[in-house]
Amino acid sequence: MAENTIVLGMADLMVIRAPVKLVTLGLGSCIGLVVYDSTARVAGMAHIMLPSSRGLMGSEKIGKFADTAVPALIDAMEKQGAVKSRIKAKIAGGAQMFALPGMSADFLTVGAKNVSETKKRLALLRIALIASDTGGNKGRTIEFSTSNWMLKVKTLGKGVSEI
Amino acid sequence: MSDIASFNERQLDAIKEVGNIGTGNAATALSGLLSRMIHMDVPETELVSIYELAEHYGDPMQIVGAVFVRSLGGFQCSLIFIQNEEDAKLMVELLLKQQFGTFIPVDEIPQEMTDSALTEVGNIVLSSFLNAINILLGTRHQISVPGVAHDMLSSILDVVASIYGQMGETALLVNTELSAEGLEDGRKISGHIILIPDPDSLELLLRKLKVL
Repeated sequence: MAENTIVLGMADLMVIRAPVKLVTLGLGSCIGLVVYDSTARVAGMAHIMLPSSRGLMGSEKIGKFADTAVPALIDAMEKQGAVKSRIKAKIAGGAQMFALPGMSADFLTVGAKNVSETKKRLALLRIALIASDTGGNKGRTIEFSTSNWMLKVKTLGKGVSEI
Repeated sequence: MSDIASFNERQLDAIKEVGNIGTGNAATALSGLLSRMIHMDVPETELVSIYELAEHYGDPMQIVGAVFVRSLGGFQCSLIFIQNEEDAKLMVELLLKQQFGTFIPVDEIPQEMTDSALTEVGNIVLSSFLNAINILLGTRHQISVPGVAHDMLSSILDVVASIYGQMGETALLVNTELSAEGLEDGRKISGHIILIPDPDSLELLLRKLKVL
């Protein structure tokens, strides 16, 4: 069966049954989080922008913050028949696009905070994080395929790697 | 902070005027640097969804060069000078010819040279912009060392989403474009300036402009 390709935008979150290809374009400080249960053949992705909702959830998209996206994604996976102990996670992104020597500002290092908060939330739910490609100062485009459960990471000037 | 969505036309226009003053000074600086007439677009104050920033400016996957500076002091803000890859290279070619009388074809210019020239140009353009608006507002400011990136438009604009994302879903941005025309073979070099006020500096800005 041919794979459908679904492109997720900023703060989008989606869970879907295989076969499917989940794509996110041009991640900078944002995180692309992929979760899957290869036995139940269910996969999900979230495009996380910031680490913490700080309790301020208004009309915001649930995928926007690591602290809301991770539990929502796992919840949606279980609703689609995934078994929590079998769910595996992979993450990519969290770069620092601009370094300003001598200048500290929360938003400049938000990439690293996105990575640590996402990892922390996965650990709290006891989800195994089995691969990651994070940090640095380059943007990433990611593509997750349920044909081999691999995450392709494309970085400008560095080519493509599979994790 | 002030609620962006509640800003009225008069307030948005006043902010646009800040963009106008800044852009005028930035255009003068760029004109001196390139020894060319610079055309400037009328700046716009825009309210943009933080989920659609890249789409607002073009193709999210387009490769661009960007210089980022942060201004601290009375009116805290950040500024980005952004050029698509071809324009950045054309500008370097022109600069080299202008300043040193040497000609290097665009495709032989190494990336590091483009990045460093873009950093210099961006820094001069953005500093001029900031100087003018701080004189207008009667505020003192300090400018950071510039940061430079060469990457996908979408990745670069994550920084704007990070600044506005914690307080809501809309960013208030002042956008303007500068372009040098009349190049030998009718080519045109453009650069885009984005003024990103700190969300909690907006109230001060409106008060200084006497529209609050």
